[in-house]
Amino acid sequence: MAGFVVALVLLYLAPVVLPISEYLHNIVGLTFMFMAAALAWNWLGGFVGQISFGHSAMFGVGGFVAVRVTLALELPFLVAWLIGGLLAGVYALLWGHPTLRLRGPYFSIATIGVGEATRLIATYWSGFTGGSSGLSLPLAENPTKYELYWYGLYLLAAAVAISYWLRRSRIGLGLLAIKEDVEAAGDVGVNATLYQDVVLFLSGTVVGVCGGFYASYQAFIDPQDMFSFDRSIGFILMAVIGGIATVLGPIWGAIVFVIIQEFLLANYSELYLGLYGVLLILIILFEPQGITGLAQRLRRRIRRPARPPAVAATAERSTV
Amino acid sequence: MNEVFTLAVSAILLAGFYSAMAYGLGLIYGVLRIVNLAHGGIIMASAYLTWQLFDHFAIDPFLAIPIALVVFFGVGVAIYLGLVRFLPRGPAGAVQSLLLLFGVWLVIRNIAYLLFTGNEQVIHTEYATSSVRILGASFSVARIAVFGVALVALFALHLLLTRTYLGRAIRAVAQNPDSCTLAGINVERVYVLTFGLGTALAGLAGVLASALFAFTPSFGASELLKSFVIIVLGGLGSIVGIATGAAVLAFAEVFSVYVVPPYLTSAVGFVLLVVVLVLRPGGLFGQRVLR
Repeated sequence: MAGFVVALVLLYLAPVVLPISEYLHNIVGLTFMFMAAALAWNWLGGFVGQISFGHSAMFGVGGFVAVRVTLALELPFLVAWLIGGLLAGVYALLWGHPTLRLRGPYFSIATIGVGEATRLIATYWSGFTGGSSGLSLPLAENPTKYELYWYGLYLLAAAVAISYWLRRSRIGLGLLAIKEDVEAAGDVGVNATLYQDVVLFLSGTVVGVCGGFYASYQAFIDPQDMFSFDRSIGFILMAVIGGIATVLGPIWGAIVFVIIQEFLLANYSELYLGLYGVLLILIILFEPQGITGLAQRLRRRIRRPARPPAVAATAERSTV
Repeated sequence: MNEVFTLAVSAILLAGFYSAMAYGLGLIYGVLRIVNLAHGGIIMASAYLTWQLFDHFAIDPFLAIPIALVVFFGVGVAIYLGLVRFLPRGPAGAVQSLLLLFGVWLVIRNIAYLLFTGNEQVIHTEYATSSVRILGASFSVARIAVFGVALVALFALHLLLTRTYLGRAIRAVAQNPDSCTLAGINVERVYVLTFGLGTALAGLAGVLASALFAFTPSFGASELLKSFVIIVLGGLGSIVGIATGAAVLAFAEVFSVYVVPPYLTSAVGFVLLVVVLVLRPGGLFGQRVLR
C-alpha cells in the first residue's frame, strides 16, 4: 500500500523533475492507459480464467460513445469517458451474461465471435462511427497529449486499486474458487454468475474508459483500428507477457508491449504478428507466469543460499 | 419458389464444405480436449499451398488434396511433438494450449504475409466460372465438386474411426485415456496421430476453400469460428452430428439474406451460437458441452 502511494507520487512529479522529451512523455502517458486496459483484461482472463479475445469491442464502444457524447452534448471529456466506459460495461454484460456460463475454450471462441460481429457492425454503421473515414474530436474541448499523462496515471491508479480489491476481498476468494471449479464453488455458496458478471462489467467499463482516453489522445478514431482483432490480441499479450493472473504483472507486460510496438517494430512492421506469436509460444512453454514468474524465480535463486527454507515466504509473495 | 430452391441447394452445397472444415477441429477437441486455435491458420496455409502448386506446377486443386493431406499431417505431428506435448493436461493446460496455438496461428499468418504479401489471391481454374443447371437453377461446378469431395472425406473418416484399430483406439482414448493405458493402448501415440489427422483435415478444408473463395493471410478467422459453431451445434459424437450442425449453420447463413444485410452474414453463425447456448446450453441434441 505504501509502495503504491510512493510510486504514484513519484510518477506524478516525474515529468516536472526529469528532463525527458515530450515524445517520450506522451508515450509514457499512453502506456499508463495500456497498463490499465491490460489490468482490466486480467481480471477476467487471469483472476477468473476466462480468456477473452474480444475486448476490443469494449475499447471501441467506449471510444466511440465518448467521442459522440463530446460532439453532441459538448460535455467535459472526463464525463464523456465515464459515459463511454459505462456503456461499454453494459455492452460487455449484454453479450457476456449469456456466454460466461461457458468455460475455457468455449467462452474464448465465443469472444472471437463477439469481437468480429462488433467490428462488422461498427464498420458498416457509418452513421454512428463515421465508417471507414472515422471521427475527429474538436481540438478545443480536448486535453493535450501532455496533460493526458496525468489522466492516464489516475486511470492506472484506479485499475491497480481495483486489482488489489478484486484479489484481496471476499470476491477475490470467490473468483479463485470459480477458476478452480465452478460447480464446487457453487456448492460452497459462491454465486458464480453474479461474481463473473461483476468482474466482466468492471473489466468492460475500465477498458471502455481506456478507449475514451485513446480517442482523446489520438483526437481521431476509426472503427477498423478501435475494434480490430489486433487490439484484442494486444490486451492478451500484455497480460501474458507480464504474468497472467498475477496482480500487477500486466503493468510490466504493457511496458514491454509498448517498447516493442514503438521502438522495435517501427522499422520492422511486417514482423509484428510473428514476433508476438513467438513471444506467446516461448512464454507459455517456459514461463507461464511471464515476467512476474521470471522475477520470482530470480529472487528465489538469489535468496536461496542465505535462507534455504524459503517456501513460506515464496508462497506469500506469489500472490503479488 | 424457385429462389427458395436455389438457396436451399446452395445451403446444402455449403454444408458439405462446412462439415469437412469442422471435423478436424472436432476430432482434436474430442480426443485431446484442446481447441486448435491454429485451425484457421492451417486452412489459410493450405489454401496458399494449393495456389502455389497450381501456379508453379499446374496441379489442379482437387489433385493437390493428397499432397495437402500428407504435408499438413506432418505439420500437425510437428506442432504436437514440438509444442503441445509439453503442456499440462486438464483445465490449466486448456488455457495454455489456447494461447500457445494462438501464437502458432500468428506465426503462420506472419510467414504467409512475408512470403505472399497481403494481396488477395484467387485460383483461376478452367472450370472456375463454369456452371451446370439443376432444375432450372445454375450452380458452379467447383461448388458441386467440393461437396462431392467433402462427402467422400467424411465417409472415409467414418470408416477409419469405426473399422480400423487406430480409429477404435482414438475413440477409446476420447472416452477414457487412463483405461486405455491399462488396456495397452499407446495413448501418447494416439494423441500424436489424432493431432496430425485433425490438422490434415484442416489442410483438406484449405484446399476446398481455395477452390471456392479468394484468400489473404488473414483468411481463416471466420472459418475457425464457424467450425466451432458447428461443433457446439452438432456435438462431437458422430459424423451425423457434425453434418447436422453444418447444415443448420449453412441454412441459417444462406437464408439470412432475407433478414439482414449481406455484410452481416458472417455474424449469423455467432448469433446462432449464442441463441443455442442460451436456449439449450447442451447443444441441439442435448449432449453436455460444458466441461
